[in-house]
Amino acid sequence: MKAGGFLAMKRFLCLYGVVLGFLFLPSCGPEEPPIDSFEYGDLFENVADNMIVPRYAQFQSNLLALQARLNAFDASDVQTLISLQEQFKATYLSWQSVSAFEFGPAAEYSALLRINCNSFPALTDTIEENIQFGTYNLDFPSNYQAKGLPAFDYLLFHADQNELLLELNDPSRIAYLQDCLADMQGRVDEVVNAWDSYRDIFVSSYGNDQSSSLSLLFNYFLYDYEQIKRNKFALPAGFATSFGIPIAMDTSKVEGFYSGKSFELIHANLTALESVYLGIGENGIDGIGIYEMLKAYNAISTVVDGDLSEAIADQFVLCKELVNQFANDLPYEIVNNISQVQETSNELQKMVPMIKNDMRSYFSVTVTLGDSDGD
Amino acid sequence: MAINSNFSISKIIKWSYADTSIAPLVVFRIIFGLMMFAGTLRFWLKGWIHDFFILPDHFFHYYGFEWVKPMGEFEMYTIFSLLLISSLFIALGFFYRTSSILFFLLFTYVELIDVTNYLNHYYFISLVSFLMCLLPANRFFSCDVLRCPEKALKYIPNWTVAILKFQLGLVYFFAGLAKLNYDWLFDAMPMSIWLQAKTHWPLVGTYFTEKWVAYGLSWMACIFDLTVAFLLLSKRFRPFAYLTLVIFHVITGLMFPIGMFPWIMILVTLIFFSPDFHEKIIAFIRLIFNLKQATSLGHNSLALAGFKKKFLTGFLFIYVIVQMLLPFRYLTYPGDLFWTEQGYRFSWRVMLIEKAGTAFFYVTDPETGNRGEVKNCDFLTPNQEKMMATQPDLILQYAHIIKNEVESRGLKDPIINAQVYVTLNGSRSKLFIDPEVDLTTLQDDFKPKDWILDN
Repeated sequence: MKAGGFLAMKRFLCLYGVVLGFLFLPSCGPEEPPIDSFEYGDLFENVADNMIVPRYAQFQSNLLALQARLNAFDASDVQTLISLQEQFKATYLSWQSVSAFEFGPAAEYSALLRINCNSFPALTDTIEENIQFGTYNLDFPSNYQAKGLPAFDYLLFHADQNELLLELNDPSRIAYLQDCLADMQGRVDEVVNAWDSYRDIFVSSYGNDQSSSLSLLFNYFLYDYEQIKRNKFALPAGFATSFGIPIAMDTSKVEGFYSGKSFELIHANLTALESVYLGIGENGIDGIGIYEMLKAYNAISTVVDGDLSEAIADQFVLCKELVNQFANDLPYEIVNNISQVQETSNELQKMVPMIKNDMRSYFSVTVTLGDSDGD
Repeated sequence: MAINSNFSISKIIKWSYADTSIAPLVVFRIIFGLMMFAGTLRFWLKGWIHDFFILPDHFFHYYGFEWVKPMGEFEMYTIFSLLLISSLFIALGFFYRTSSILFFLLFTYVELIDVTNYLNHYYFISLVSFLMCLLPANRFFSCDVLRCPEKALKYIPNWTVAILKFQLGLVYFFAGLAKLNYDWLFDAMPMSIWLQAKTHWPLVGTYFTEKWVAYGLSWMACIFDLTVAFLLLSKRFRPFAYLTLVIFHVITGLMFPIGMFPWIMILVTLIFFSPDFHEKIIAFIRLIFNLKQATSLGHNSLALAGFKKKFLTGFLFIYVIVQMLLPFRYLTYPGDLFWTEQGYRFSWRVMLIEKAGTAFFYVTDPETGNRGEVKNCDFLTPNQEKMMATQPDLILQYAHIIKNEVESRGLKDPIINAQVYVTLNGSRSKLFIDPEVDLTTLQDDFKPKDWILDN
């Protein structure tokens, strides 16, 4: 009788084991993507093939063109200065379209594009010292703000054309610009090449954990947006803090201070994010974007009435409009028109909960590292 | 329950000390130990020791436990190594008393480091591991008994198993009680939101947009939680109840990122089964590992008497009462519990609400009048920021963290305000706390927080 009970028990436990084993298998996957990986694949493919890769290529070719203008620069010919300046502006605008993709190849230590290409405001004293002594290592963190696009911005725009022509007659200044350019080119070339193979990894990723494409795309989208709000707007306008200490207004902290194109750069940055959101590729084709994903969820906004996908799209339009409404560049407006700057800042801020809370919750993107029980 | 008559109390006490088989407790010990081992290992392998205890610059304290601080990297990894060892020792019944006390203390220490890591599941583990310190779970089929066969017991008092069943039942019952609210029952919220995100599920996914599915699941979850413990106690309904429980936990495990919890619950609730069932499990383990039947089976039972018994009776009585009252402490606070979260923790409110917040903190220099927005990532990890943004006591703590940071950098008496927008169960985001109030002038206490705005 005992043996019989034993057998029955054994059978029960075996069955139990099989059932449990079956149950445990998908237990690795409670952090599954909320919509199936096929659809995410569409989003990732569109973003990679029609945005990230062509945008990096554009930035790369802009740097090449900048190199050509720099090589062709002749301190006795003001036209060559103007064409160099024009190409720099185009390059700076083109940077705005890749700054949101600081993951994968761009986040490699040898690349770190954002910090190496666009740490502003420029440390002009460091730049001058570097040029004067000629002994500098641009890889040092102490030089982050003395190179890249802000260094160009300073060296090519900080004085009037005649003065600049005089200054740039000094070969060490040109050499410094060439070094800064080569530094950026090396990093961007690396990123462009790495995307050849990273593209397939990016596109085929599924899930929403920390290292998933969904999480990377979302988090750096948000990060890039918050950079606009804080570094490009709040910091110079005196709305920000540094480790909690309120920082006084300092208009020299705007992006592109010397070339006087802050609003244009901010506008370009917003437009770049907006087209990632809408899924509009560099070829102009409107494909699958975050907008379409939110639509598919019937996502509701908690910040304004109605549909989340529309609310975010509208907010992008509104923010771009507000940025466009300023008659002068940001430093002037900060000093003379702070209330309108504040109003624009408020509208920029309104977007944050829409992205950070609403969008994240519909995508179930994990910011939270650990488990949750929903409280 | 007829507690008002002395007669039934003495009957309960008498029953509590009457003999029952030790087998269920032994199986519980093995399962608990192994699950804790697996859970700790998982935590380690996911890199969370570093992320939760090494990485953050600041930690959110539990009221009254401000003195609990994380240790250095080496010490934290040592603690987790000890957790691994002690949980394994619990399963083996090896130096059981020391191991269980060590596990309880270390686990609870780790949980007390940062409120933003609070999970009802962790609280549950702390409580169970505390109870395990008191229970003679190593007195049969254990390394301890192998070393001292005279310690072997065949029978133990009923209360030892009953207190665990009580603890488990409580989790379900209160989780069910908490679901008795308007949003859950009559608006199918937040179930609708959760289902919306799972519409890609094969076969069933297409139904997840249907309102009736959300209502059905809400009501079923509520009824399940309220009744399952009682059904598990009844011999007749036990198989049905357990099957339902397995299905319930598997579904929640697939739907939510709740880690090991569903699997732990599926296994530990086996304790509701009969001693006979557990004796068969032990026999089966013996068979697999080719373990010999112990020579002396130990027919003696655990006899408690005198002061020890009185003390234990009193202690258990208080424990049970406190556990039953704690979830109701929210009644002493005004306002909507889910909104204010005053008295929310330690009450088995598991997967109950969907809440998210965005918090903008502003520091004003009283001398210059300069006012700036705080960059939360200067001080907090993304996880801490997310947790803080919906819980008033943590918002207040964060303001004081900012104050200390700012003062250490030379700005005295800063004014700190916060604009916090919170959405609860998919409702419109609303201002959560008074944006005008200077948070540095407030201290956390158990009094109602009148600076929380109405929902």
